Amino acid sequence: MISSIETKAFELVCYMVTSACNLLNENRLYGPFRLLDTASRLITILEEEGVKSKRLGEIRERIVAGQFSVMEDEKVFTDFLQDLVLALIPLMEDGTV
Amino acid sequence: MDLLKAIVERRSVRSFRADFVPEDMLRRLVEAGIWAPSGGNAQTWRFIIITDGGSIRRLKMLSPGLLGNPPAVIVICQDVAKAERKGAKLGKEVLSLMDSAMAAQNIMLAAYAEGLGTCIVRSFHPGGVQKLLRLPEYIEPQILISVGVPVSMPKPPKRNFDIVSFQEYRSND
Repeated sequence: MISSIETKAFELVCYMVTSACNLLNENRLYGPFRLLDTASRLITILEEEGVKSKRLGEIRERIVAGQFSVMEDEKVFTDFLQDLVLALIPLMEDGTV
Repeated sequence: MDLLKAIVERRSVRSFRADFVPEDMLRRLVEAGIWAPSGGNAQTWRFIIITDGGSIRRLKMLSPGLLGNPPAVIVICQDVAKAERKGAKLGKEVLSLMDSAMAAQNIMLAAYAEGLGTCIVRSFHPGGVQKLLRLPEYIEPQILISVGVPVSMPKPPKRNFDIVSFQEYRSND
């Protein structure tokens, strides 16, 4: 019997593999966008499977708040990505890393 | 609804409520698409309306641009064999895609007038979607449109209106 997490993982893998193929011929900013979306989806899957993490939830919130700036303004999007990376650092100090 | 109001207020919606969209409403949207112009009046488009949850999930796996969980997806296809017979190379390679795009815009405006949100999607694997939907080789999927009740309407991206010339091209760079 296929587990729920296997199904969700399969769907995510399909999304990633198809993105890899399509991105050869798409807007170069879509690459980073798809990676963010993958991160967001992965966090949601983990949450649904019982992995409760404040820091992962915060990362997802930040992604959701800024990811669609890719459609509006390249500088806004790239600044958002830079800020997102910097926001990870205090989360690394959250006990386990 | 005033047409210009719909044109200006329509947004690309990527987050939908779970509310289902009635079949007769979806048919009206596609009918609006069918009233779009087509090169040489070819009308070689074909429309597939998908509302089955499992089918939409499978479609999403091959369509990275299909975001959120829409209750319905409209697949705009073209009979490219017929497009070539009617319009030769131009018909097959250029006009058919233009026709699909014009139909898509009609659908999205009609959807807005019904209080629905839509998003036009070209980030999908055409060969994969063709196989998934069991389409004949000559029926090519060209555009997906997600349809549903929006969670909210996004803010509009900026528009540059300083790109209009009269009589002859003038650069504003």
